[in-house]
Amino acid sequence: MSPSGSDRQDSSIATPRGDEWSDCLLAIARSADRAAFTRLFRHFAPLIKGFALAGSRLSANHADELVQEVMIKVWQKAAAFDPNKAAASTWIYTIARNCRTDLFRRLQKFDTPLAAEDVAPDGADEEPFEQIQSRRNGQRVRELMAGLPVDQAQILAKVYMEGKSHAEAAAELDLPLGTVKSRVRLALQKLQIQMTA
Amino acid sequence: MPHYHPDIDFLTAHVAGTLPLAQSACVAAHLNYCHECRRTVSGLQEVGAALFERVAPEVVSEQLLDMTLARLDEEPPLHFARQQAAGEKTPAILQRLMNGDFADLVWKKVTRKLAISYLRTGDPGHEFALYHIRAGGRIPLHDHCGDEITLVLQGGFSDADGDYHAGDFLFRRSGEEHAPTALQSEDCICLGVLDAPLRFRGWAHRWMNPFVQLRPG
Repeated sequence: MSPSGSDRQDSSIATPRGDEWSDCLLAIARSADRAAFTRLFRHFAPLIKGFALAGSRLSANHADELVQEVMIKVWQKAAAFDPNKAAASTWIYTIARNCRTDLFRRLQKFDTPLAAEDVAPDGADEEPFEQIQSRRNGQRVRELMAGLPVDQAQILAKVYMEGKSHAEAAAELDLPLGTVKSRVRLALQKLQIQMTA
Repeated sequence: MPHYHPDIDFLTAHVAGTLPLAQSACVAAHLNYCHECRRTVSGLQEVGAALFERVAPEVVSEQLLDMTLARLDEEPPLHFARQQAAGEKTPAILQRLMNGDFADLVWKKVTRKLAISYLRTGDPGHEFALYHIRAGGRIPLHDHCGDEITLVLQGGFSDADGDYHAGDFLFRRSGEEHAPTALQSEDCICLGVLDAPLRFRGWAHRWMNPFVQLRPG
């Protein structure tokens, strides 16, 4: 967190670069561009399907259903995407996560007035300064992720990708709950996530 | 600015989508008041996104692409009003669950100073309720068979450990006991999420225990 370290990154992130996936989303928002949608689909659909199958709680059919549902949401909501706030992949990830949570709940016949999106929206408005900060964090997290020890990366993947609770992760890896919690914390510290408590 | 926050385990589970719905709704309500936790959550979201980018991809058929493309005409892009910035007003998630304001709810009187209103989240394992404590009023000493989250929404209360104000998020583990008292100056409204019923401790209030059943859902 040295000032010189963050200064170095300022110029490249203060104005979002026109990256390919953001451009696709903007083209969909502007002109319902189906070619742009197809490009996004070819890149993200396999990731969404991988994410769907990671917890091995969904069948291949449900995974395909999730892919369709997420990609149609992406199409419908493209106008709400703001490249100043988040990378395209972050925005699509939050949509995929929420759709997966809703699908799990539907399959469990969970009767709730709330959609996952009501509980964890895909992005609340923050001050412009915060937006820059959050894009910078995003880039730093991706850089630091490569340096995580295997055991810590493994736990994070269990929690985020497989959707396991800390307790479920502990049972699967045959580790005490405390060990799982401290590995998650250590990993998040290495990724420089600020913790208030 | 709240002084008591959900810990990083809560925030991580909230972001990963693994926290039980009622608890997650309570974290979401805290975020409405807490700039710092919003920043943490945004960082945790980036962690999720970075993992998502590296997930092992699975083959998706051309047929699925064609089916999806065929559906696009029925699902025209939506236009959005800008989301409102989070602020200190009643959290959006609660406005949604209440279908209105605190005054519109059905409040069940428990004592002269305490009334409870149960809200339906659909979470089968947790009760989600609002507590209205009159200024200076006290909730009888109780402990919990399970875990309790309390989020102060209006006014404030104190117990042996401190004073709590709007936005403060408190987590008590099973077995810890306390007797919260609303501040003298104004009524206090808080949100409580329980996974097991309260147990009143003092002899004067023990008779109430059979009446205090958990109402999840």
